[in-house]
Amino acid sequence: MNIMNFKAFFLSSSFLKIIFTVALFALILIAGISYRHTNAVAESGKWVIRTHEVQKELEQLLSQLRDAETGQRGYIITKDSVFLEPYNKAIAEYGKSFSSVKNLVANNNQQQINLNALSKLIQLRISILDSNLSTPYQINTSVLKQRMLRGKLVMDEIRLQIKVMDDLENKYLSNRKKNLEKESYLTPIFTLLLVFFSILIFLFSFLKINNDIGLLKKTNEELKINAETMSQAEEIGDFSNWQWNLATEKYIFSDNLYRFLGCEPQSFEANLENFLSFIHPDDRHLLIEGTEKVLNEGKTSTHIFRIIRKDGEIVYTKSVSKLLTDAIGKKIVIGITTNITKDYLHSQSLSEMNKELAESNAELSSFNYVASHDLQEPLRKIQTFISRIADNDLQNMSESGREYFIKIETATNRMRQLINDLLLFSKANKAESVFEETDLNILLENAKQELAQIIDEKNAIIHEVTLPTLQVIPFQIQQIFTNLISNSLKYSKPYVKPVIDITCALIDEKAAADIKLLTNKKYYKFTFKDNGLGFEQEYAEKIFVLFKRLHDSSAYPGTGIGLSICKKIIDNHSGFINTQSTLGKGATFTFYLPA
Amino acid sequence: MNKDHTKILLADDDEDDRMIFTDAFKEVKINTKVDVVKDGNELMDFLKEPENDLPDVLFLDLNMPCKSGVECLAEIKSDERLKDMAIVIYSTSASEKDIEDTFVKGANVYLQKPSDFGVLKKLLSEVIIMNWQYQTSGLNRDNFLLSL
Repeated sequence: MNIMNFKAFFLSSSFLKIIFTVALFALILIAGISYRHTNAVAESGKWVIRTHEVQKELEQLLSQLRDAETGQRGYIITKDSVFLEPYNKAIAEYGKSFSSVKNLVANNNQQQINLNALSKLIQLRISILDSNLSTPYQINTSVLKQRMLRGKLVMDEIRLQIKVMDDLENKYLSNRKKNLEKESYLTPIFTLLLVFFSILIFLFSFLKINNDIGLLKKTNEELKINAETMSQAEEIGDFSNWQWNLATEKYIFSDNLYRFLGCEPQSFEANLENFLSFIHPDDRHLLIEGTEKVLNEGKTSTHIFRIIRKDGEIVYTKSVSKLLTDAIGKKIVIGITTNITKDYLHSQSLSEMNKELAESNAELSSFNYVASHDLQEPLRKIQTFISRIADNDLQNMSESGREYFIKIETATNRMRQLINDLLLFSKANKAESVFEETDLNILLENAKQELAQIIDEKNAIIHEVTLPTLQVIPFQIQQIFTNLISNSLKYSKPYVKPVIDITCALIDEKAAADIKLLTNKKYYKFTFKDNGLGFEQEYAEKIFVLFKRLHDSSAYPGTGIGLSICKKIIDNHSGFINTQSTLGKGATFTFYLPA
Repeated sequence: MNKDHTKILLADDDEDDRMIFTDAFKEVKINTKVDVVKDGNELMDFLKEPENDLPDVLFLDLNMPCKSGVECLAEIKSDERLKDMAIVIYSTSASEKDIEDTFVKGANVYLQKPSDFGVLKKLLSEVIIMNWQYQTSGLNRDNFLLSL
């Protein structure tokens, strides 16, 4: 466990940070020590030079004094002024050497005291020399001899004093050397140790970094492969993924998400606003509510919404999102968005087919009801009356009357048989119709011709507009036109000239929303408005039910099938039909056909 | 049924059927008083008028304009005063759906209009002499549809 911990620590990035901090401090230490040592060496070098300069100047001083002495001696012996030349030169220059020494020992009290003593001795020596030269002929030999002796003594003292100073300088030099040696004794070992230590650390760091880079390379390779696999998988599986970092408010969209939107990968900034702009306006709230659910309840949220691609195509997508919190509390929402258009449209067409099936089943049973009830009703009555006549009046009839009566009875029985057979047939057979590109104006014209006689009789006026050419079952659409017009004419007001207004228009999205169209198809809206009797709006739905009638059969003969047929036809065309009316104020029939 | 005559009410929109019905009762040797109404609305108006005596047996056609027999049946069964009335469905249809529907909604007998006058007379007299006590208390799907 400990080894594991150490290994984990070794592999962690904080280990590298610690190593670099230690190495940095070691280097600063080395640099500091080296600087101090170099400074000390330079300082002592300076001191050595100074000592040598002091000794050199003192030597010079002594030599100048000796020159002066020699010159003076020669002059006294020869009386030749040529010997005064070195004397004069030495007298002129010794002051320079003296002030040099004075400058060099300015910081040293002991040497300054020594120098002051030397200065007095030199002054004394020079004054003796001067007095010897000023009166060389007046003084006698004994005086001269005395003076020369005194001069020699002073000169000896000068030599002694210079030696004292020289020795002192030598002593300083050796002390400093000793100090320097003592000081730099530890430095090289310490520096060496630090250098070794640093090398060790750098070696270690290098190994670690090298190791890390290797690992990084390997991880990078794997990551590349994973990313490529993911990208391929997204294309094959028609899905995409996205991330939302809550702390930084940064979004990441996968390439395929851009393709969903009909855009080049990474062609715009990944953010919520840009993404929302592609979502169908009616579906945006779904995404926003779903996101809130994820954020507030921490639940996985699934929702289906439509995307309007850049090229206007509508794509149905399913999005699943989830909130993730990592070890250091960073929150990220991740999501997968899948293109389910095919599935959606498939299920859509399936449910449409189911609807059709249910409708045709309902229709079939409605037809069964018709066959078993409405057609049989008059027939049953005929048979009932036949049975009454047969019971009571048959014997009173003539021979031929009885014969005909028997024939009627036989034919009636046959008719019942036919109806029963027809019912069986209808249960087994289902009509198939073919859709054709048809000019609806022609169909309307045909319908009007069909009804020409009654239109003429009623003096009816029909206002019409130009109709479109649509993919329809022609005879069925003509049937609608015929049924609606004849319906209006039949239920026209007595003594009022019937007027029928026919309109047709391609409806916009807003109007489509009014009739709750869920598909993105476009529709044509047709209206047939009359000025007839009308009916109460509460019957608006009932009148489309098979055999449903609002008037009794003696006043307005009819079967109650006409409008049911209209509804059936419109259903066949995936359209809608409804009606608005007020009793006594005419009726309007409206139907929608897909464009 | 211990009165001098049985009160019969027929609701049927078809004039011929009403005639056949009343003629049949004239020929049946049972003391009855037959009233007729022409559609569902008229029927409900008749039943809800407090001055009218409630019939002993109501014959109800199913397919009538504006208010169908089934609608009337539901309305009667939801009315506290009317709901115990004996109801005979009297229809041309013998479809399973209609029979099932009216049985569930509480009709007592389902009588399909026959195509023979003699048969009709027999069926009607059978309905009238029926033991209504038994018929109304223990509803039975098996003998709901009356036939000869």
